[in-house]
Amino acid sequence: MSTESATAARPAAAPSLTAVFVRLKLSLLRNGLRRSTGRTLAYVASLLVGLLFAAGVVLGLTALRGNPHAGALAVLLTGILTVGWAVMPLFFPGGDETLDPTRLVMLPLRPRPLIVSLLMASLVGIGPVVTLALVTGAVLAVAHGAVAAVVAVVAVVLVLLVCVALARAIATASIRLLTSRRGRDLAVLGGLFIALGGQGVNIAAQKLGRPDGLAVLEPLGEVLRWVPPASAIGAVDDAGHGAYGRALAGLALTALALGLLLWWWRRTLTTLMTSPDSSTLQALEKGGAGTSGTGERGLARLLPDSRTGTVMLRFLRYAWRDPKSKMAWATALGVGLLVPIATSAQGNGSIYSAFSASALLGSQMYNQFGQDTSAFWMVASTIATPRDAYQELRARALTLALVAVPYVTLVVLGAAALIGPWSDFMEVYGLSLAVLGALLATGSVSSALFPFSIPAESNKSVAPGQGAIAWFSLFGGVLIAAVLCSPLLGLTIWLHVAGLHQFLWVLLPIGALYGTGLAALGLRVAAPRVVARLPEILAAVSKG
Amino acid sequence: MANEPEHIEGRAETAPPQHTTLTPGGPVTAAGGEVTGPPAVRIQGLWKKFGEQTAVHGIDLTLPAGRFIGLVGPNGAGKTTTLSMVTGLLRPDAGKVEIGGYDVWQDPVSVKSRIGVLPEGLRLFERLSGRELLGYIGRLRGLPGEEVDKRAGQLLDVLGLSGAQHKLVVDYSTGMRKKIGLASALLHNPEILFLDEPFEGVDPVSAQTIRGVLERYTASGATVIFSSHVMELVESLCDWVAVLAAGRIRADGPLAEVRGAAPSLQDAFLELVGAQGRGAGADLDWLGGGRAR
Repeated sequence: MSTESATAARPAAAPSLTAVFVRLKLSLLRNGLRRSTGRTLAYVASLLVGLLFAAGVVLGLTALRGNPHAGALAVLLTGILTVGWAVMPLFFPGGDETLDPTRLVMLPLRPRPLIVSLLMASLVGIGPVVTLALVTGAVLAVAHGAVAAVVAVVAVVLVLLVCVALARAIATASIRLLTSRRGRDLAVLGGLFIALGGQGVNIAAQKLGRPDGLAVLEPLGEVLRWVPPASAIGAVDDAGHGAYGRALAGLALTALALGLLLWWWRRTLTTLMTSPDSSTLQALEKGGAGTSGTGERGLARLLPDSRTGTVMLRFLRYAWRDPKSKMAWATALGVGLLVPIATSAQGNGSIYSAFSASALLGSQMYNQFGQDTSAFWMVASTIATPRDAYQELRARALTLALVAVPYVTLVVLGAAALIGPWSDFMEVYGLSLAVLGALLATGSVSSALFPFSIPAESNKSVAPGQGAIAWFSLFGGVLIAAVLCSPLLGLTIWLHVAGLHQFLWVLLPIGALYGTGLAALGLRVAAPRVVARLPEILAAVSKG
Repeated sequence: MANEPEHIEGRAETAPPQHTTLTPGGPVTAAGGEVTGPPAVRIQGLWKKFGEQTAVHGIDLTLPAGRFIGLVGPNGAGKTTTLSMVTGLLRPDAGKVEIGGYDVWQDPVSVKSRIGVLPEGLRLFERLSGRELLGYIGRLRGLPGEEVDKRAGQLLDVLGLSGAQHKLVVDYSTGMRKKIGLASALLHNPEILFLDEPFEGVDPVSAQTIRGVLERYTASGATVIFSSHVMELVESLCDWVAVLAAGRIRADGPLAEVRGAAPSLQDAFLELVGAQGRGAGADLDWLGGGRAR
């Protein structure tokens, strides 16, 4: 509220709602940037990258003017853009505070002016600017003649409005899901889907880059051409060819879609603002159910009832239930397997690429207490002696080993079978186990000395300001682990150079023993440091 | 120091009442035997600075055992910082803390098994269900598994969490979180319980449940030390009060002594922290009258 309206007893006239919302959006943007120079830089950088990307695409599309497949490409581009707008609010629900209409629920606003104002406010930002540029590029590629130019202007406005309205409507419809715990869990895992999607786009782009690759698009373009808002771009193409009827139909389809979207958005907005939050109702319903059984099943029975078993059970449950842990495990397991497969697929594979499995799983030992978040106080309040700390760390290392040892075995076996040669299996397996042990050792020490916080509710894995600690502890730890493994590596090289190939098998038992010894030593070194630094660790992992 | 802590040691003349039961009107006191042995908490010269800001400004405080003790103060007075340092979760810049006669930083083994803690602003292992969380913390504390499960079941029943015991704590409401936190603090039957704002954001029904459990616990001779800025609550629950403001102890002693001649603890408190008479100004002349806008 401005000071003017506060001092005047009766404000003369209410300012236009649209202006208020546009100003609100600008203030939110500005205040978001004011919080740190890093954010400002990131914002400016993404604006520049977005505009450069858009400029590149526009140039490329303009160059395609006259290409027989330009129409299909422009239509497809619009389609992809629309899908992007549709999924964006699902993955970045916290990105735009004005997207959350429940914040406005207490204000006396009618739905219709509210929707118009929110729509206009949505046009402020990097996304709409880049979209505007891309759609302009798309129509530039296909607009031939004066009529087409007029249709093009209408089409650009319509496409932009449909995109923004779509994002808004989807955000409104799914806001209850997005602000619920499950929705936020999904958003954390969303990064994985985006990475996979990016890979798909990459493959598609390579296919289209081939001579006459654009022809592949024709059937797809024929369908998309009638799907709004791409139908507006198709209309521009048609107007250029003199098919005015088809052009009008294309534009009308998009306009109809915009109308339907706005109607749907208004309906969901009204429902949302006038019905109670279902999440609180749910909590009451479930309250009465359930029995007082102990509920210990499966895994719990297999593990010992000591601190070791308790910690292992908690660690394993978190690997499955905590989105951050799940993501870390999935990445480690996935990438550990992917590296040998990818290198062998490229034809220059080596059995030594199997080291990725033990390297990635071993580095899960880093920042153990950061993975606990500030709930580490529960661990801290039960650690009084170095022995407690040793048991705590050992249980975590054991859990990792429980997964890592069989996994590394499988990956090395697979690499030996698919890439070969089998003669290297023993030494690579032995060295892998040594690497795993060394990483568990350096990981435990690093967990004690360089803890950092992992923010729970964002895609980040390091709290702001702790990036350097995270990076150096991991990098330094991996370096030290490599040094720790160097005697074994030296032995391997010596056996090869001296031509003692018949003795290479000894690397397996030596590697296994050496790895186990290193891990045990690391735990012994780390334990007293954990006890001595409990408050410091708690402070470090509670940030952010 | 501007306000020297007002230690009230004269037990012979004031004969601090041994707490037994409570009625809604206030503590019903019974002249019981003196609590012998070391005090529950003895703090000497406790300091903590965060950058330029001094959060705790040289606290000296002795809290007797077997009492229901309230640590009161306005927001930002240093209650959480003090409790964190006393329970070993935060390292003080200077000072000494003894719990039951054992030094918190020299003898953590003796201290950690004797205390239960419910901190404010720190998370729990929220991806465990309520029952799993209790099973986890109980076993970490070295209790036998069967005993943990038995106690967990009883605590869940008493706290009204049986219906939600298999639900993940992340889906709990604020009141349920406080209750499961209280259950995990009580599981190992500590001698002294530290609770940071246990009633903050808790609905009246859950608050009453928590009160009931705490009253039963102190009736057996255990000590509860809890922080709050709700004076009515402290007045109705506690028999010993320490007032903290701007990182210093302004007064401490039996409730009646701290309250003094003031009609309520609220008034005594406002006087102690120097916030008396800060009423609504005349600037808000447009407010009221039922004419919106």
